[in-house]
Amino acid sequence: MNFEIVELFAIAMFFISLFGLITSKGVIKGIISMITMEIAVVMFFLSIGFQTGILPPIGRDVGDNVADPLPQALMITAIIIGVAVTAVNMTMLIALSRQFKTTEWDILKKKKME
Amino acid sequence: MLPYFVIAPILIAIFLYAFSSNKAAKTIAILAQFILTAFSIRLFFQAREGELITNIGNYESIMGIILRADTISAVFVALTAISFLIAALYSYSENEGKLFWFLIFIWQGLLIGIFLTRDLFNIFVLVEVAAVVVAVLIMYNRDNRSMYDGMFYLMTGIIAMQFYLFGLGYVYRLTGALDMEVAAQVLSEIDRSSQILPYALIITGIGLKCAILPLFSWLPKAHGSPSAPTCVSALLSGVHIKSGIYLYMRVQPLFPAIDASEFFLVVGIITGITGFVLAMSQSDIKLLLAYSTISQVGLIMASLSISGEYAQVGALYQAFNHSLFKASLFMCAGILSKVYGTRNVDDIRGVIRRFPVIGAAMIMAILGITGAPLFNGSISKYFIMYGTTWYVTWLLMIVNLGTIIVFVRFSTMLFGRYDDVKEDSALLRRMQKMDTDVHRRDETVAPRNYSESVPKNKQFVIIVLGLVCLAGGIFGSQFITFLWGIEVSVETAGYLEKVAIFAGSVAVGILLYRYVVAKNVLLRKLRGIDFGFRGTCAALGGFFAAVLIVLGFFAK
Repeated sequence: MNFEIVELFAIAMFFISLFGLITSKGVIKGIISMITMEIAVVMFFLSIGFQTGILPPIGRDVGDNVADPLPQALMITAIIIGVAVTAVNMTMLIALSRQFKTTEWDILKKKKME
Repeated sequence: MLPYFVIAPILIAIFLYAFSSNKAAKTIAILAQFILTAFSIRLFFQAREGELITNIGNYESIMGIILRADTISAVFVALTAISFLIAALYSYSENEGKLFWFLIFIWQGLLIGIFLTRDLFNIFVLVEVAAVVVAVLIMYNRDNRSMYDGMFYLMTGIIAMQFYLFGLGYVYRLTGALDMEVAAQVLSEIDRSSQILPYALIITGIGLKCAILPLFSWLPKAHGSPSAPTCVSALLSGVHIKSGIYLYMRVQPLFPAIDASEFFLVVGIITGITGFVLAMSQSDIKLLLAYSTISQVGLIMASLSISGEYAQVGALYQAFNHSLFKASLFMCAGILSKVYGTRNVDDIRGVIRRFPVIGAAMIMAILGITGAPLFNGSISKYFIMYGTTWYVTWLLMIVNLGTIIVFVRFSTMLFGRYDDVKEDSALLRRMQKMDTDVHRRDETVAPRNYSESVPKNKQFVIIVLGLVCLAGGIFGSQFITFLWGIEVSVETAGYLEKVAIFAGSVAVGILLYRYVVAKNVLLRKLRGIDFGFRGTCAALGGFFAAVLIVLGFFAK
């Protein structure tokens, strides 16, 4: 397997984000790690079939030397969903922090049991 | 015609939210559910004749999105429609606003989409949006734990789907296709070593959706959340969890070179055992049922991993049956917790005497889930254990014994006298006071002197579900042939043997419950076991690494 540098970077970023999710105590950092995870996947998709010098798939007469439009279309969808999910998460976080006066996973877990 | 099954519920949802009043919403919703159910049953009959395929936009299969309905997916679509109809009938007597019905219909459309689509990216979108909808429904009746539960469910679900999406990227990179059939064809010509990484990524994501062993912490929070309306819990355990199992079934043939069935057999059985041990230790009805769902999912996963047509059919039938009896049990639990004003199993007594109808329905559902003779669970378990090697049979029997013990505990609610706080219950309470984990009283439900009557529609729904459990047992093999078109037959001698084993397990189960489980302090300590959010993320990483190691990714 020969990985392109972008792909390697995306894989590294994905697992660093996972590491961030495991180690960060705060919910906010968790959400940030989740976003970087999404970005890593987006980066990976955009690197699929990438060659230098190819044209973006915009317009009618671009010739044969065009990038594959499908990953980009997929990633626009994924980004939109990601934005929506982040917004929902942030809303819940605000409600959660108002209710429990904390944004740490472990304290939340203890407090909600009471 | 297939796209309408996805789009129609969503259009109905928008119509309800935009134009209907809060009062009219539930009537329109039930009418719409009847129509959807009728059409999905028609779809099932059409799919029996032959696979239905729709290319959305008439693109070639390598480019466009394809929806297909073969018997497996058509059965799941019909199951979804029927379950939602039942849930709608159940909540007719509750005054949920139109927002509730909006979410329910959107959820239904997404679930049917998951069962119909053949496009890998479509699955990602549908599952992700369904996670948001379900998270909102979990928190629907606000309560002090609901925000945490909803957020936990949403975040773990999203992270799992990032794994899935990453694996999907690899599949696309290898094959250039997103359609499952096309990708499977291309992948069958590619060497095994490059398939391991995408397989591990995808199966990690789907594994969390199925709630197998290290990845189950979200399930009791979602399915057992006190703030979720009863019918949402019933639908989550009834249909929603099946979407994960369905995806697991569909993803296996995508990678023809990879055979991880032994790994999943082991994981499934361990999940089954862990599920019932944790279920025994719960005193909250909803949580008990939620942990029992984990155990059942483990059983279904294990039986899907056993080779042989009978085990596969048994797994499908078990998944089908589980939706029926678990929905019924959750609905009974919802009624009881409302009437008694508590969700503590040890405080609810004398259900049969007070509510004979609910008691009868509960007994039928309990007999179904424990696999009693003449009930549907016994048929599916018979086929699962048909022709397995002896140690697998024994392990599956242990899982079933555990289920029996859990439901012996559950059925203690049926007997005794109301008002009568039993001595062992008082003893338990004293022990719980010593524990920091005090059983929780529900503030959202009415106090004890709540009106005695249970609405007729709820009684009707649970009785019908119970009778279907019975019918599914008596006409078991005909039912399987009807649903999946596979000729099976139950041998009388083998079945009688299973009946004897069941009787033995019940006796052992009751004895074990009385003398080991009921007063075990150690077991109560287990109640709080929970990986937490960070633990679940670590478990995701660990599960991914385990799959890679088992499949020999690092072996050179």
